[in-house]
Amino acid sequence: MMPPVRIVGILSFALAVGCAGVKEAPPSAVAQSGPLTVDPAPAGPRQPGRAGDEAVAIEPVASTPTPPSMSHTPPKAAPPPAKAPARVSASPPAVEQARKSEDPAVVAKQLEPPLDVAALKARLRDTNAIGIFTKLALKNQVDDLLQRFRAHYGSGQKTSVASLRQPYDMLVLKVLALLQDSDPSLARAISGSREAIWGILADPDKFNAVA
Amino acid sequence: MITRARTTALIFALATLFAGSSPAADDVALLKDLTSVIMLLGMPCGQVVSAKRQADNDHIASCKDGNRYRVFVNAEGRAVAQKQ
Repeated sequence: MMPPVRIVGILSFALAVGCAGVKEAPPSAVAQSGPLTVDPAPAGPRQPGRAGDEAVAIEPVASTPTPPSMSHTPPKAAPPPAKAPARVSASPPAVEQARKSEDPAVVAKQLEPPLDVAALKARLRDTNAIGIFTKLALKNQVDDLLQRFRAHYGSGQKTSVASLRQPYDMLVLKVLALLQDSDPSLARAISGSREAIWGILADPDKFNAVA
Repeated sequence: MITRARTTALIFALATLFAGSSPAADDVALLKDLTSVIMLLGMPCGQVVSAKRQADNDHIASCKDGNRYRVFVNAEGRAVAQKQ
């Protein structure tokens, strides 16, 4: 006959085993690379729904709480090659000049992987970090922002698109805030592509080529 | 011996009962999704604490701060949070 304490212990263990949930597999962190392709069609399926008369319109620059910003530490620049003192033939000012030319930002830019917007879009669509409603709302806001760019370029204005930088940054921050806890690798990828994507949006030729 | 066999059977029965994904997990995901979409649309909420499904992609979300929203996909395919 088993002592009651032992039975209780076994039952507790069984409950613990039963309640242990199966964690979702972390999203693939496989680096994506490929040619520079931009597909402006945003992620998220269109789904039928009901129309609301007094529905609140989605505004890309809606005043949402400021999400915590991601760290934007640029990749570490490659250290300058070690020089053998005996073989240095350049004068000290020349060496200084050469060191100055190795600007860390330039080196970091060279180390950045090529932008693959299609892959980012696919990863954003497939991630489990955000739900279907959220994906749809993000898609709507991306569409709205692209529409603003189209309107800007279509109006023939020669002014810069600097006024659209803030809504762009806000949208990226929203995406990062949604992803950074549940899919940090995708958040890092988007954060790292931020300037490259802006480079496409801010250039009318590139934008028209992909839009 | 018989008692031990019964205990083992009970353990497996309980493990089977509690194993697998529970509907509660889906609920948590839905509440998180509704919270995110309401935040994304710039509406005050804090956190969605409960939701009632009205139809496909149509829910009434109750927020921690007392606000209630109907979150749905409208005819234009937009996610909408409508204050109730």
